[in-house]
Amino acid sequence: MDFKDKVAVVTGASRGIGAAIARAFAAEGASVVVNYLQNDAAAEQVVAACQAAGGDGVAMRADVTSETAIRTMVDEVLGTFGKIDILVNNAFKPYAFDPEARRLFWNSEWRDYESQFDGALFSTYHLCKAVLPSMQQRTAGSIINIASDLVARPTIPYHEYTTAKSALIGFSRNLAMELGPLGIRVNCMAPGLVYPTDASRTTKEDVKDAIVAQTPLRRIASPEDVAGPVLFLASDWSRFMTGQTLYVDGGLVMA
Amino acid sequence: MPEVAGHLPGLSTEKVAWHTLTFGEGSEALDVAVPTLDDAQISVLAAHVRQARSSYLKSLPTAQIIATIDRAIGRLLDRNDPWRRKMEALLPRITGYDAEMVRLGLTGYLKTFRAPELNRFIAEDFANPQLLDGFQPTVKGGVAKAVGPELMVHIWAGNVPGLPLWSLISGLLVKAGSIGKVASAEPLFAGWFAKVLGEIDPRLADCLGIVWWKGGDEAPERAVLRQADLVLAYGGTGSLEQIRNRAPATTRFLGFGHKVSFGMIAREALDPSKVWATAHRAAFDMVRYDQQGCYSPQAFFVERGGRVSPSEFSRYLAHELAAFERKFPRRRLSFEEAGRVAAWRNAEEAKALMSSDRQILTDAECAWSVVYVEAPEGLAPSGLNRTVLVVAVDTLEEAVPRVAPLRAFLQTVGIAAPPEAVYRIGALLGDAGATRICALGEMSAPEAGWHHDGRFNLLDLVTMVEIDRSAEIAAEALAPYAD
Repeated sequence: MDFKDKVAVVTGASRGIGAAIARAFAAEGASVVVNYLQNDAAAEQVVAACQAAGGDGVAMRADVTSETAIRTMVDEVLGTFGKIDILVNNAFKPYAFDPEARRLFWNSEWRDYESQFDGALFSTYHLCKAVLPSMQQRTAGSIINIASDLVARPTIPYHEYTTAKSALIGFSRNLAMELGPLGIRVNCMAPGLVYPTDASRTTKEDVKDAIVAQTPLRRIASPEDVAGPVLFLASDWSRFMTGQTLYVDGGLVMA
Repeated sequence: MPEVAGHLPGLSTEKVAWHTLTFGEGSEALDVAVPTLDDAQISVLAAHVRQARSSYLKSLPTAQIIATIDRAIGRLLDRNDPWRRKMEALLPRITGYDAEMVRLGLTGYLKTFRAPELNRFIAEDFANPQLLDGFQPTVKGGVAKAVGPELMVHIWAGNVPGLPLWSLISGLLVKAGSIGKVASAEPLFAGWFAKVLGEIDPRLADCLGIVWWKGGDEAPERAVLRQADLVLAYGGTGSLEQIRNRAPATTRFLGFGHKVSFGMIAREALDPSKVWATAHRAAFDMVRYDQQGCYSPQAFFVERGGRVSPSEFSRYLAHELAAFERKFPRRRLSFEEAGRVAAWRNAEEAKALMSSDRQILTDAECAWSVVYVEAPEGLAPSGLNRTVLVVAVDTLEEAVPRVAPLRAFLQTVGIAAPPEAVYRIGALLGDAGATRICALGEMSAPEAGWHHDGRFNLLDLVTMVEIDRSAEIAAEALAPYAD
């Protein structure tokens, strides 16, 4: 895969899955915008890794829960690189994946759901809107939204999180319908439990073992494992795919 | 600032000469300062430990010793404790083992030293645990008391992180003073334990000295061994022999040498619903500490006749090893280790060229290798570091005479078989020299109170002091109340 001369924006890319995706794009020659919220040093490390891998990288701090911040960032990217070919919506609202402490449905509040809908959809909605003019101009572009395999198989019912990710898949399908005629593709990548990331660092061994026991490829995903399918969806190899969800969980979900 | 190893009660650390051991390279490099004591300092340390033992530990009730150890272990199990954090941060850098493997291994291991386990540990060796606290009536008449050595010298190996804990805690439980020599490959753990103990009960920590000298160095070794009432050493046959020869003839010597362990898998564990778990457990036993433990399997004997054949099993095992390589990558091998793996593989490849009943499964980087053998082969040490022989057998019994030539070296057998077979094969394996039969997947996690190499962990350390019935009767005649 060659992403030379391609510009990819990856949100939430200073750590975990986002960082692995950014590094993987750079290794294939892309110029990567490493969006992040808090950790300057971590983002700079990812940028350094991108450059070391042979691509280009630039860290851009922007709170993607703010429409203004999104607009400013996209303008800045366009000012620097002149275009955006690939958008990976990876950032999400912090969520504690703790099977023991998760909230039972009857103890949940509607605002928990609202907060996750916002987390999963707000930034994706506004980022998609913001990059659209650049993609439309060239009648090309690939948007990849990061969902979760919990949507198809709620191994642990994290109600509000998984419901919001389900909405994200619905959002992506509609957008694929809308943008297909304009040459822009929209797909989702739905990873299983990815370890280690900040979100999964405290996941207990017995949970991981239980998942591994049901997983044909017999292990948990690492951040690097989920980068490949994102690159595929971003590349010309998948040029005739849109509105799809790729499950990347070692075969736990087959859909 | 180098990390400082050792524990030297009674010595002024400024007056001690320190040697630096460097682990890792570049920005990851870690310097560890290890103490090098001269003869006089060794004598001072030994005298201090003996004194602390006789003035304090000797008369401390066992229950209190257990409570203190339990508190120390409790701290090391707490992932927020500074000592625990230090262990998690530094042990992977020292040993090269994957950080997650070290973290999970530490918790699994430390759990076996909580108070209930320590009580079990004692009950395993002493029908009446009070024998450690005072004279107890014996069945034959008279009374007896178990007395630990005044000074026990430990010489540890560095293959598995945390190894010193077994003998250090054993020493404390029998109220022995201890001087332990840490291995150059892992010089920190023992000293850390002494420091944690010292934060809870400084007088107890005064009964422990943790030192270092370059393995085999004659002068300090002789100087320390001269002080010992009992020596407990881990190592290869050569180094054990050398240590034994350097200790005074009157000093008791307990040696734990290199061992060979293996697995046995019955056809009942090889059907389509069980083979995944069986292969997973077998692979885990290999991956845990890269087969550096005496309990790590170096071969699996796999029974024919199941729904999944031994050859198919070897492929499942290979994939589990590939999956584990992602989860717990093998540590970087030293030049010697890589050489040993390469030599083993070359020999196996040469054999495979000569015969069609041998298959080698490996990955591109050779991070693991499974050699499947159809022929009736015996047990031979593997190349270690995730290399293993899978030997097909018609029945598990058939494997027993093939392991018997290694009698002196046999230790753990991980077994996956139905109950009747476990007892039947267990008896045969015991006759052949094996000392521990455990579940597949548990080979690297011995139970609290296990009999290491078939020996008694605590009983072997003590001497029994008896007051004969005759003395009691004779004393009666001299009592002030005698009629």
